[in-house]
Amino acid sequence: MSLKLFYDQVEQDVLGAMRKPKPVYWIALAVSALAFAGGLSAWAYQIFTGMGVAGINHPVGWGVYITNFVFWVGIAHSGTLISAVLFLFRAQFRSAFNRIAEAMTVIAVLTAGLYPLIHLGRVWRFYYLLPYPNQRQLWVNFRSPLIWDVFAVSTYLTISLIFFYVGMIPDLAAARRHFTGIRHWVYKTLSLGWEGTTNQWRHYNRLYIFLAAFATPLVVSVHSVVSWDFAMSIVPGWHSTIFAPYFVAGAIFSGTAMVMTLTIPMRKILKLEKYITVNHYEKLAKVLLFTALIVSFSYIVEILLAAYSGNVFEATVFKYRMTGHYRFLFWLMMFCNVLLPLSLFIKKLRRNIKYLFILSLFVNVGMWLERFNIIVTSLAKEFNPYSWGTYTPSIVEVAITIGSFGMFFTFFLIFSKVLPVLSISEIKEQGNE
Amino acid sequence: MSKEYTYDTREAFLEKLEAMTTAGVKPEAITTLTPFHVHEAEHILKTKPSALRFFTLFGALAGFFLSFAFILFTVFDWPLITGGKPLISIPAFIIVAFECTILIGGIVSLLGFLHLSRLPDIKRVFEPRECGSQFIIIEESATDSHRLSQEEEK
Repeated sequence: MSLKLFYDQVEQDVLGAMRKPKPVYWIALAVSALAFAGGLSAWAYQIFTGMGVAGINHPVGWGVYITNFVFWVGIAHSGTLISAVLFLFRAQFRSAFNRIAEAMTVIAVLTAGLYPLIHLGRVWRFYYLLPYPNQRQLWVNFRSPLIWDVFAVSTYLTISLIFFYVGMIPDLAAARRHFTGIRHWVYKTLSLGWEGTTNQWRHYNRLYIFLAAFATPLVVSVHSVVSWDFAMSIVPGWHSTIFAPYFVAGAIFSGTAMVMTLTIPMRKILKLEKYITVNHYEKLAKVLLFTALIVSFSYIVEILLAAYSGNVFEATVFKYRMTGHYRFLFWLMMFCNVLLPLSLFIKKLRRNIKYLFILSLFVNVGMWLERFNIIVTSLAKEFNPYSWGTYTPSIVEVAITIGSFGMFFTFFLIFSKVLPVLSISEIKEQGNE
Repeated sequence: MSKEYTYDTREAFLEKLEAMTTAGVKPEAITTLTPFHVHEAEHILKTKPSALRFFTLFGALAGFFLSFAFILFTVFDWPLITGGKPLISIPAFIIVAFECTILIGGIVSLLGFLHLSRLPDIKRVFEPRECGSQFIIIEESATDSHRLSQEEEK
């Protein structure tokens, strides 16, 4: 095939995926939107009735809301890993996933950002978190990890949005040629008059490198900050120096799994098998395996630290995790995050798309459980035996959790039909080489 | 009147570009439209390195120092003495300042990019020159390029 034909084919395929959806798409969208609406209703119920409808109690004051917050921030991380870190390392397989991963990042951060507000109870008071001159004459406490979180998450959202948008400008310019009517005008406006002159490409290329260079330390810092929400306290099971690297690795692990969960059905529905190939998945599986090993190593170190610390509270919490009320969840987490990913050492399984899809679902579950285990078990068995207790999520918390998945998938499905899901200009450039 | 040359491949496009510059056509009189970034075109047209790095550096430094100054101001404006911690807790403040370095650095870089590449270009939003999947060289005629250089001087 001549290059010109190849270029045209890429445009046709990628932009063609944005045309009229099939029934399966509408069904998926309807189910997600329904879950999203259910979550919103549950949240509204909680706002009107009060935080009593949530299962959080004394001593377990942080429950699934904070679990979900950490989970979604984690999901957001592989977006930046794939688009920024792999870009700086010149790993070409990123072009199959980078746009999808970037969209996933933006949507996951939006979802995550809701959880502190949901957890807040009186959500209308959220602006207390922001430092601005006010009648209360108070400023926020910059020594508090929760304020670091406000800055980290909002910076992450802004930079991911910029990265997502900038990467898309040349493709929006391609889209404006292929569509008519209102979509033509929307893409025309969003592409800002981009033409692809040498001058534009010159600055564009620089900007992309700088943003990638910014995003790389950002991705490390954001999840470190999230981990310090825990590690800065003195709660046994949280107060540990390993938390930051352990959380960052876990975030990339879960995010990579989510990229698989999303792209495997998507490439089939949108007929993009030609561009997202088995080779690409094999490379992604290697990233998954690598991060799984780091996470497993962190688990071991964490347990050994507790065992050797001589700190009775620390040791008790870890024993409790393994043998106490939540032991089933702990061992299920170990199965999903430690044992199952080891199967990826087998090449045949790394190249088996169906297997990867199922594995990614298990990893998603495992990583959610990891956050649940860290948060709930530590609080359930703190220093004073008198205040020990357990926690079970209430129906409202479960509905809001399902709703957040609904929100994530709804936005993602809309993205997959409204914006180009692959980087056209990058695939063309690679095709040329 | 300007002349337009269209090519299907990058190689043919680069050859023509090379030939034009060796024939004495000034790089300022040449506009190229390409579907992706062609590094070699920059070498042939002898473009200067992008000035974007100054925006990025300025934004990042401004983000760091301004946020740090702001935190110090808030600490002195209403001292929050909690947990026996020092009023100026440098390690804690560095975390917020670090995030602001990236935040402001990223935003200023984006604005710098828009400024340097003259985007959004209102005229081109409505009437963009499309290259599709092709490589296009537009050579401005002498009068055009004269006008162009005058505009640039302004």
